[in-house]
Amino acid sequence: MRCYLTSLFFLKKNEPRDNFLKMIKMSHVYKVYPTQIEALSDVNLEISDGEFTYIYGASSSGRTTLIRILYGAEKPTRGEVIVNGMDITAKGFNKIHLLRRSMGIVFQDFKLLRDRTVSENISFALEVIAYQKKEIRKRVSEVLEKVGLHQRAKDPILALSAGEQQRVAIARALVNNPPLILADEPTENLDDQMADEVMRIFTDLNQKGTTIILATHNKELIQRYPYRVIYLLGGRVDLKTKGEQKEGE
Amino acid sequence: MKYFVWHLVRRAFLNIKGNLYPNLSTVGIIAISMLVFSSFTLIAFNLGSFIKIWEEKIEVVAYLKRGTPIQEVETLLENTRLIEGIESVRYISPFDALGFLESKLGGHKDLLEGIQPGILPPSFEIELKKEYRNSTRIKEIISRLKRFPQFEEIQFGQEWVDTFSALVHLMNLTQWILGGLLLIAMIFIISNTLQLTISARRDEIEIMRIVGASPIFIHVPIYLEGLLQGLFGTGLAIFLLYLLQEIMMLHLPSSIQMWTVKIPIHFLPPEIILQILIGGMLLGLFGSFIASMRFLRYGD
Repeated sequence: MRCYLTSLFFLKKNEPRDNFLKMIKMSHVYKVYPTQIEALSDVNLEISDGEFTYIYGASSSGRTTLIRILYGAEKPTRGEVIVNGMDITAKGFNKIHLLRRSMGIVFQDFKLLRDRTVSENISFALEVIAYQKKEIRKRVSEVLEKVGLHQRAKDPILALSAGEQQRVAIARALVNNPPLILADEPTENLDDQMADEVMRIFTDLNQKGTTIILATHNKELIQRYPYRVIYLLGGRVDLKTKGEQKEGE
Repeated sequence: MKYFVWHLVRRAFLNIKGNLYPNLSTVGIIAISMLVFSSFTLIAFNLGSFIKIWEEKIEVVAYLKRGTPIQEVETLLENTRLIEGIESVRYISPFDALGFLESKLGGHKDLLEGIQPGILPPSFEIELKKEYRNSTRIKEIISRLKRFPQFEEIQFGQEWVDTFSALVHLMNLTQWILGGLLLIAMIFIISNTLQLTISARRDEIEIMRIVGASPIFIHVPIYLEGLLQGLFGTGLAIFLLYLLQEIMMLHLPSSIQMWTVKIPIHFLPPEIILQILIGGMLLGLFGSFIASMRFLRYGD
């Protein structure tokens, strides 16, 4: 539902109504780096609003490139990408900051400010998009509750375990209440117990309607938390071997 | 909106505070460069004022040919008064000229003993209107005076005016050439310091981008930082220049101090100070613009 509201601003006049229901649509997307390495080749995929989807692939399969394209850090060499109603490949598209406000991004290396506290790291995300102080305090407190870190709000980041740091990163991604979460290997540096904590947060969010796209190469994780999987092999969506299917189908 | 602007300014100050030493060194370098530039401005300004004072006192003396009949002198006096730009004309007879010489010699007036007034030529002392007391317009009046054949010689201290004008011109030229080089160096220094600042805040900027900070929010504090560096550096330069001038004035030899009574040495007027400050700020802004262009590309 939230996705539809933001889409209203960005959907083009004659765009099919079907796009309205899609959180992500990639059509014939290619990415070739200047070194002539082809990271993605003719990728076509659709992810609906409220879905939990894994992007699964080994190293160099193109999954990080795919995630980076989705949040506008990379431009595809060719093809069309629509995220949350915004055609980010359209000529002259210059609303990357608005695109990023409509999503939360979680990284393998957390990307936290190491010289600040837990709550400062989260409130920073709202400060830079000019939220009022009162609203920031309220939201930070809510989101810390959600990830179970409300007791550690004033602790410096370096005093936290890796799993807790990742939960702070998730809290930061959630604080703006986005309809979409992109997570690039969020459990990679965590032990099983911490990974489970993180996955439980994602599952909870998804159940409340947030679209989750999680890039991973961890088969075990997919087996423990079975959702739709998009397999990437050598930069292509691998339909021949496993296909784009629901785990367990 | 007010909150947003406040936030940008606060962020700029936080950036400066967070990278205090690189910022202080940049402010110091800007101060030294601007001190050199404003020193030249001060010298050129004072030479210019000196020329203005001198031009205000300028008087044209037209010497008449000996033996010019008195009737002709009267007509000439009338015609000279009619020339545009002339305020007043006074006839100085040979007797007046001798009297003037005697008064100038004071106790040594006996040196003039035996000298007949007839050897001194009669002359016109011509006072010019204020707006005509500059080298270009004086030359116009001189050329009109030269049309009267009764004048043997016309003096107005042209050499002095020309020499001083050339000196001021040279000062201005040096100021702008040297200033130009210093300004380029300043832009280079400011942009490099800001690159260091940006580099030190790489993680923070990356997170700002990830969470959707607008380009204005990321770039404007950097521009403000450059602007403030320029302002503080130039302000410091002006302050140092003032101190230097005061110290110099205190330690001037008494012979030169006497000169400064007649030709006062001024500090830069507020409008020039303001221009220099704005110039410094614009340079800072330009330096920060270059730094952000090199390091911050939209969408990274």
